Amino acid sequence: MSQDKEREARPEWATAPDGTTFSRRHFLQSIGVAAGVVAAGVVPAILTAPSASAEEATVTSGEAPAVAGATEDPLASIIANDRPVNYPGKPVYYADPAGKQKWAMVIDVKACVGCRKCVYACVEENNIGRTSGFTFIQVLEMEPGKIELESAKLDYEEAGRPDKWYFPVQCMHCADPPCVYGCPVQATWKEPDGIVVIDYNKCIGCRNCMITCPYGARHFNWVRPEVPAAEVNPKVPLAEKAWTAEKCTFCIQRTRNGQTTACTEACPTGARKFGDLNDPNSDVAILLKTRRVWRLKEEYSTEPMIWYVG
Amino acid sequence: MTMTDVTTSQPGIKRFIGIDWNFGALKTAGPQYWKFVWLLITLTALGVMAWAVVLTTGGNAMAQRDNFTWGMWFADYMFYVGLAAGGLVVYASVHLFGAEQFRPLARLAVLQAGLLTMIAILGDLTDLVRVWRIFWFALSPNLSAIFVYTGSAAGFYMVLCFVDLWVLITGVGGEKLAFRMTLIALPVAIYLHTTTAWVLALNKSRELWNSAVMVPIFLTSAVASGVALLLISAYIMKRFGVLKLKKSMFRSLSTLLATVIIIDLFLLVVEIATVYWPTAAKAGHTLRFSNFISGPYAGMFLPVLILGIIAFALLAGRKTRHLPAVQITASILYVVAIFLKRYTLMSMGFAIGPLGQSQAPYFPSLVEALIAIGLLAMGLLFLTLAAKVLPLQMPEEEHEEAVAIDYDAEPAEPVLEPGVAL
Repeated sequence: MSQDKEREARPEWATAPDGTTFSRRHFLQSIGVAAGVVAAGVVPAILTAPSASAEEATVTSGEAPAVAGATEDPLASIIANDRPVNYPGKPVYYADPAGKQKWAMVIDVKACVGCRKCVYACVEENNIGRTSGFTFIQVLEMEPGKIELESAKLDYEEAGRPDKWYFPVQCMHCADPPCVYGCPVQATWKEPDGIVVIDYNKCIGCRNCMITCPYGARHFNWVRPEVPAAEVNPKVPLAEKAWTAEKCTFCIQRTRNGQTTACTEACPTGARKFGDLNDPNSDVAILLKTRRVWRLKEEYSTEPMIWYVG
Repeated sequence: MTMTDVTTSQPGIKRFIGIDWNFGALKTAGPQYWKFVWLLITLTALGVMAWAVVLTTGGNAMAQRDNFTWGMWFADYMFYVGLAAGGLVVYASVHLFGAEQFRPLARLAVLQAGLLTMIAILGDLTDLVRVWRIFWFALSPNLSAIFVYTGSAAGFYMVLCFVDLWVLITGVGGEKLAFRMTLIALPVAIYLHTTTAWVLALNKSRELWNSAVMVPIFLTSAVASGVALLLISAYIMKRFGVLKLKKSMFRSLSTLLATVIIIDLFLLVVEIATVYWPTAAKAGHTLRFSNFISGPYAGMFLPVLILGIIAFALLAGRKTRHLPAVQITASILYVVAIFLKRYTLMSMGFAIGPLGQSQAPYFPSLVEALIAIGLLAMGLLFLTLAAKVLPLQMPEEEHEEAVAIDYDAEPAEPVLEPGVAL
């Protein structure tokens, strides 16, 4: 089916404006041949990905516009499911209040070259201790042909290998966050806009959230986080993070002020898209409606708010 | 309540909260006793200093890291809470199942259970890197966090044990209250072990922990190791003349022990079979478990099975099972086996992390080891002092014939006492 015919068959909400999808042509144009070589290697891997959830299945069966409810927003149930959990009613002290958005991210593993630019940008933006021994984003070098974490490599040295594919993992800001359910003192919660935050002044350091997280997304400051004075981001806590758990906040200090996340901004291949699911014109809303997406450990029903596409 | 001298023929006995504290016994204690006490005090002090290091420098002094989120303290928590169960089961079986032969052990059993739970809780607290924020447990507990349940259960259970000990020593409320206390204590003990097992089992993020068998296996491991420890300490108390105990009591105790050991081993084998059976095997599970069958942890995990089988075989042998040496050896083997089981069980959650990355085996740092040893020494210290100061011997006239009893008499035929029930 040609692209034009495919578009005709889709309902209007499922049609992406030109230039906003991760089409292969657009992708190659934008990032050049080097990344394309990687992409060729990863496509077969993505074909084995678990199928998307029911909502996406409806979306992607675009040939049948007469499907009941096709005119409704297919993201409605995802948005409705992304409720605040253990929210104390006031925003975490280091952030602005949540807006009406429902934040989500889509990562194109076909475009990711494993350069770790996102990792470094995140470390700088979020005052991650330079000697703390962790980063919020962990990029896994995956073997082709399968999504098997056990054979993935975290400490790879050479990025962009055509015989591998690269898989960035971070806090998924799950709609059903096991970490929030597991915190004994409600020191972590899910805000109305879906961001899972930690109150560094309340965390008792029991590390149960790290046990409950299936994505290894939470990290503990075993040492006092050290950041060179010139590189400290004044908008992000630093000293109070000592001996508490921390993790990706979807750059709460940026995204609630109209900016995108540091990792999205830093990605040289445009593999990361961040935005508001309530906004039908946002990259993430369009991608979820138009592309076959999948989530890591979908079978755990944590309902992650980061989708992968490839 | 004030401490007052009571009119008694023995000097040094002070009556406080209804208990005759025999401080005079400490004065007459031999040099060996005091050497041991000072050793325990030194070890406890070292543990306190190690904790001070954690409080001032944070978690850096510990070997635990992001990939090995919990370590020594958690293995100890499971181990001690489990050991505490044995005391309670023995004590409860006196009142619930009429196992009169265990009655002389009642005070020791309850004291031991209380002390073990205490050091289990303290192990948890010394690991919390920001422990001074612990008040949030009371102010904003999260009801979906299993920690809230196991933590409060452990605290309640510890208090219950000490209240029980007081009831047993003072005789307040008589047999009726002791029975009613059992009716409370037994469900609380089961609740404590269930919630402790759930700290592991209720995590979908940790494949090898996420098993419904975890709860029954915790209960059997707890009772087996607890009874084994009680048997060991009963022999020690008998050796030093603190308690007078009959050989038939040890026979009953070791029969109970053998029964629970075999159930415990059975559940472990069931769990392993579920991991490896071809129609059930998941790559993530078998890969993780192979770390413990043939990988770096095999040296710690396989002994759990081997020691368990040897302990059971020792207690099952008809000709030798009445010998104290055999009973003590089997008990020590099984206590060691359960410690290794707790340690490897802790490691099962971390040997391969949630992102599939293999971790180097965890071994506690000096600070963690000193805290663990210090806590154990503190528990032993209290037990050692209590052996002299507290009247741990149950009064005999309540349950024994008035005739002189030959405590070392062999039971005619080593049959299972009718009161022994599981």
